[in-house]
Amino acid sequence: MLKLGVFELTDCGGCALNILFLYDKLFDLLKFYEIKEFHMASSFKEHDHLDVAIVTGTVSSQRDLEVLKHARNYSNYLIALGTCATHGSVQGAVEGKIRDKLEKVYGTRANPMRALDSKPVVEYVAVDFALPGCPYDKMELYQLLIDLAKGIEPVKKDYPVCIECKLNEYECVLVKKGVPCLGPITLGGCNAVCIRSGLGCIGCRGPLPKEANPTSEFEILKELGYDEEYIRKKFKTFARGELRW
Amino acid sequence: MIILRYVKLPSENFEEFFNSLKRWGTVYAPVKQGNIYAFKRVDTLGEVSLNYTRTMLPPKKFFVRPKDTLLKLKNGRWEEIREVKKIVLFGVHSCDIHGLQILDKVYLNDPVDPYYKARRENTIIIGISCMPDEYCFCKSLGTHFAMHGFDLFLHELPDGWLVRVGSVKGHEIAWVNESLFEDVTEEDLKHFKEFEEKRSASFKKHLNKEGLADMLDLAFDSPVWKRYERICLGCGNCNMVCPTCRCYEVCDYWINAYEAVRVRRYDSCFMETHGLVAGGHNFRPTRLDRFRHRYYCKSYFDPSAGFNCVGCGRCDEFCPAKIEHVKVLDEVREALK
Ligand code: SF4
Ligand code: SF4
Ligand code: SF4
Ligand code: SF4
Repeated sequence: MLKLGVFELTDCGGCALNILFLYDKLFDLLKFYEIKEFHMASSFKEHDHLDVAIVTGTVSSQRDLEVLKHARNYSNYLIALGTCATHGSVQGAVEGKIRDKLEKVYGTRANPMRALDSKPVVEYVAVDFALPGCPYDKMELYQLLIDLAKGIEPVKKDYPVCIECKLNEYECVLVKKGVPCLGPITLGGCNAVCIRSGLGCIGCRGPLPKEANPTSEFEILKELGYDEEYIRKKFKTFARGELRW
Repeated sequence: MIILRYVKLPSENFEEFFNSLKRWGTVYAPVKQGNIYAFKRVDTLGEVSLNYTRTMLPPKKFFVRPKDTLLKLKNGRWEEIREVKKIVLFGVHSCDIHGLQILDKVYLNDPVDPYYKARRENTIIIGISCMPDEYCFCKSLGTHFAMHGFDLFLHELPDGWLVRVGSVKGHEIAWVNESLFEDVTEEDLKHFKEFEEKRSASFKKHLNKEGLADMLDLAFDSPVWKRYERICLGCGNCNMVCPTCRCYEVCDYWINAYEAVRVRRYDSCFMETHGLVAGGHNFRPTRLDRFRHRYYCKSYFDPSAGFNCVGCGRCDEFCPAKIEHVKVLDEVREALK
């Protein structure tokens, strides 16, 4: 049996909950894993060595940082799960220094909760696997955990959302309807769910690593009549300043 | 070799003929879905878009499926999944028939792809005539007319269809439906010719095929590729919609703790790992390499065997960056002067 821990930093809670949404599939995982810590599933907690640690959320406070360091130091394999952990997501997109933000919201620069500027897990520690998505596709986590349990090297996706969009034969909303779709520059793996509903991809899985061409996407959206500020915000929503052009 | 036979299908018998096709298999035909066309299962002639331009995914999808489960891991052993159904593809354009013949060369030559072969053998292909739109350039490549690769081919006439019979199966279908057909008259042939002439004059896009392979030989370092590298998103849409793209990826997925499936899906040479080989070497490491590669794959690798492009225009229609296949090749040629 492998020992598994699930740790939550600052996030909406959806990514940790999504693991439980595997429902009966969760029992497949329990054939290989013993859960040593997962506060949404059990009050049981055993602070000891872990084979696999899953961390969701951004580092947004001193407490988060300590939890993350613990997870990293006590585990062999660390998975950054969800876009908060891999890219910073929405809270990571908020610009400015923490003291200024505190002043703006609370009227004082005091920081009793020891908040930090929100940053993804990957900025603080080395991770063995980064699985983005807001939320991630739970079946992707399922595949990953069984692969690890069987000693199979998990394969990282290398393609944008467009590939899965075409594999499903969805009408291209960017080309055919002028909907601002970030599919061409966003890492695939979601099976193009948004396009399935006729919506444009909002980039929740973060940019296609190394390969995204935001400059061209920016020009395409501008050509369609969207203003620069709108596009800039769209690019920033999940990926902080990663998409530069 | 099949001796071509021409018969006429008058308009009033068209629907009955269409319905008779069901006895040969499940009928799939182009159907409008939003702003695109797709080959879908149809029950009535009314559902079919006879005047469609092109489907987003070519008929390739019936033989090499976008996602295809090939094997299942059960009790520690791989079991083959190979169900084949009889189908009728109704309304295939000439360029797509040529596209399938290019695929045949790859999938039916040694080593034969058994999945492809079985599906190909169980499919009836009924071609239909078409008018080009702004994306078509099949005429430049000689793929605007199919001499074989179909069972029946329907050419639009003012009062029905001129039907070319192209295979033994086609003869069989024509024979069983004998009462629906008439003999072709001089006037029908005149109308057929008029249609073809009008069609021929309607092409707006032309590819200069002259010495294309030699030209590409010299143009490997053309600045044009570099310019397009900046515009291309590397999204792979052009590959996914292409009737002649042949690359696929094979992946395993767990379906429970002990059972898995092996799935193959279309792949695209615009993906970074497409050129990655053992040892970590990547022979197409940059987007420039990959952008250029597609043009070489389509027009260069073995021009003696024909180009790997049938001029269907899909890559242009579905490129979010509006990159135009013919324009790129023209610019590359121009830059050599
Ligand atoms: S709808 Fe979006 S994701 Fe789908 S092909 Fe078009 S640009 Fe790509
Ligand atoms: S390269 Fe473009 S025009 Fe040529 S066959 Fe492929 S999709 Fe059609
Ligand atoms: S290498 Fe590229 S262009 Fe050639 S068949 Fe494969 S995907 Fe298509
Ligand atoms: S569809 Fe256009 S932008 Fe996308 S990879 Fe092909 S050429 Fe590049």
